[in-house]
Formats: sequence, C-alpha cells, structure tokens
Amino acid sequence: MPPKGMVVIDKDRCKGCGVCVATCPFGVLALSPEFNRYGYNVAAMAAPEKCTGCTMCAQMCPDAAIEVYLYRPAKEAV
Amino acid sequence: MKVLMRGNEAMAEAAIRAGCRTYFGYPITPQNEILEYMAAHLPAVGGACVQAESEVAAINMCYGAAAAGVRTLTSSSSPGISLKMEGISYLAGARLPVVIINVMRAGPGLGNIAPAQGDYFQATKGGGHGDYRLIVLAPSTVQEAAELVMLAFELADRYRVPAMILADGMLGQMMEPVELPPPIPPERIPPKPWALTGAKGRPPNVVSSFDLDPHRFREILRGLWDVYRQIQRDEVRWEEYQTEDAELVLVAYGTMGRICRTVVRRARREGLRVGLFRPITLWPFPSEPLRRLSARVPVFLTVELSAGQMWEDVRLSVDGRAQTPFYGELGGVVPTPEEILNEVKKYVRG
Repeated sequence: MPPKGMVVIDKDRCKGCGVCVATCPFGVLALSPEFNRYGYNVAAMAAPEKCTGCTMCAQMCPDAAIEVYLYRPAKEAV
Repeated sequence: MKVLMRGNEAMAEAAIRAGCRTYFGYPITPQNEILEYMAAHLPAVGGACVQAESEVAAINMCYGAAAAGVRTLTSSSSPGISLKMEGISYLAGARLPVVIINVMRAGPGLGNIAPAQGDYFQATKGGGHGDYRLIVLAPSTVQEAAELVMLAFELADRYRVPAMILADGMLGQMMEPVELPPPIPPERIPPKPWALTGAKGRPPNVVSSFDLDPHRFREILRGLWDVYRQIQRDEVRWEEYQTEDAELVLVAYGTMGRICRTVVRRARREGLRVGLFRPITLWPFPSEPLRRLSARVPVFLTVELSAGQMWEDVRLSVDGRAQTPFYGELGGVVPTPEEILNEVKKYVRG
C-alpha cells in the first residue's frame, strides 16, 4: 500500500528531543545523523512507507516543527 | 496568565522583567535562545544586546556595564562559561552584581550538547582564581527558572556578589507553561551609590579588584567573606518533598531534582518510604537542613548528571551520621525514573 502521509520537519526548529519518534504509532520517524545549525540530530522519516498521515507527531512536537501532508488521488483532468 | 515558553526564553524574559537592560553573549547550544530573545526584545525596552566577538569579550562588557550600575546579564553553556571564568573572578573581586546563566552541557572539553551537571564544582567552588564564591541558584522547572532569574538580580545587587543560574540543556530547551513574574518598576531597583556614574559633585568611586598591599587587601577580602557568611546565614533555599517519614532521601537538584520527584511518587505507590531533598541554592549549600535531616534518615542517595560533585557537599553535611551512596550518569545520558528506582531498592524495602 502506498504511504498516505508525508511528514515535513522544519530542521532549524527541531531540537532532537525525540518526542515525535516515541509518539509515532507506526515507527515512521527516527533521529537522523544529520545536524541542524544548533548541532541537534534532527528527526526524519526513516520508514516513510508506513506513514498514515495521522498527525500525532505534529500534535506532540513541543516546538511546532512538524507539518503533515496527506496524499490524495490525483484529480482527473478537466 | 500562563504562557507556554522554552526555559531559555523564560529566563531571558524574566531578566528583562527584573530590570536587566544590557546583555552580552556569544552563541553556544543549548542556550542560543537567550541571546536570540535578548536581541529581539531588549532594544524595545531601551536596552542593549551585543553579540560579542567571544565569551571573554562578553564577560568583560558585563564588567563595564555593571560598574556603571546597570543590571546586566550574560549566558553561555559549559565550555563558554570556562572561557568567562577569568572575568567572573574579576567580577567577584570588584564586587560587581552580574547575573550569569550556565545552561550546562556534557563535558569535559567540547563534550556534547546533551544535558549534564558536570559544572557544579566550577560554579560553587570557585572556577576562576582566588578566594571568592558565587551565589548559585539551580531551577528544576521553567517556572522556577523564571523566578530564580528575578531573585538572582535581586540578590546580586543586594550583596554586590555575582550570581549564577545553573541550569542544563534539558531545562533550557524544555517548553512548559509559565506564569511570568510582574516586571519590576525601575524606581524599585535600589540605587547603587558605588557605581561609576560620573563624579560631578561627589568624590570619585573606584571599582577594582586590585590592591598591591597584602594587609590592605586582606581587610577587603575579610569584608567580602563577612558578606559571604551573611549570605550563608540568610539566603539558603531548598525544598523537601515527603521527607517526614522517609527511610531514604534522594538528594538531587535541577533536572535530576524533578526526575527524582517522579521517583518518590512511584516509590510511594510501591509502599517505599522515600523522600526528596532538593537544594535550590547550590551556594550557599543547604548544609544545616541536611544535617538536621540526617539525625533521623538513615540513607541519603545523591543523584546527579555527573560523576558525583554535589555528592561531596552532601557527605560533608551528613558527616558520617547516615549512609551516603551515589548514583549518576555521564556524558549527557539522563537516567530514567525506573533506573533510579532500581537503585533506591538496593537500600529500602517495602
């Protein structure tokens, strides 16, 4: 099944606290080896195919650093 | 009204409300938000925020501003505080009431940016050279961080002693609801007749830490230590939680203090009589209340994010009247309540 959602993380607002990683019911997120400008390991989609777009991560993020987008079937051409 | 704020931002806002009108700093994680907040908000109240060329420059700018009688703040994290230490010794020697925030990270050296409490010795035992102390306040919530910043400015001014807020990366980055204390009106800040405000119509003031005559300098330092003893007598602060019937008392400050509060609640649910003793002033250390408690409590388990630094003050206070084991973590690792509870169970049974 294709992923239903996509998580977009504002890297410079992320402090790598891992609350989203712990919250995600499907194990989509993990802290990546990538650093932001403050030196924090930012959260990233480690298993994007599992994302349902439930937005739990965005609701829990203490720094409002997460946006979640839902995939919709492409509209038919008019 | 409560607002949701990051620890660093709450401390910065509290400083402005305390009448702080100059801030000098240099960026370092995990305390960058203090500099960012001051840059954004100090000019609006007629203050000045300078990102200095280095930590050494920043602390010496504080020296100048404080000598002119202005409430002034600097902040950094462990390696940056090491760089400021020479200047802090000079502040102590010249009796300049600067407030310094240390949002501790793991060391030694460059270490990492995770929360730690390895700067206790540096903060409370000197750090810089010479016979001096700092007033050291250790908040364990964002609310308390804001309140202690206000208190730090008040105490620093009252005693003409620099004051340090010893926070850590957890507290600096954590977001919590905070009820900000009301701003102090400028007229309520006591005047500073010793400040360098221009000597027109009065004898000149001298602000200096320098005296080549050992006997004269001894008298200055004796006066300074009279002040320190007064602070030790009047300004000790601590919190006790469920210590009344405790068979084991956890001793922890800052972030570890709040985690140990959770440990106490879980231990009580399991029928273990555990309490918490949380020093709020690390200097002056609450030795006397701890000593009193040691007359009836058989075990004091000190828990720190270090190899055991405050532990030494706990042992000096308990002075052999009770067991004083230690549990700590290193390198920025924060122990969970479960891990600490397992350690507690080595000493108490339900």
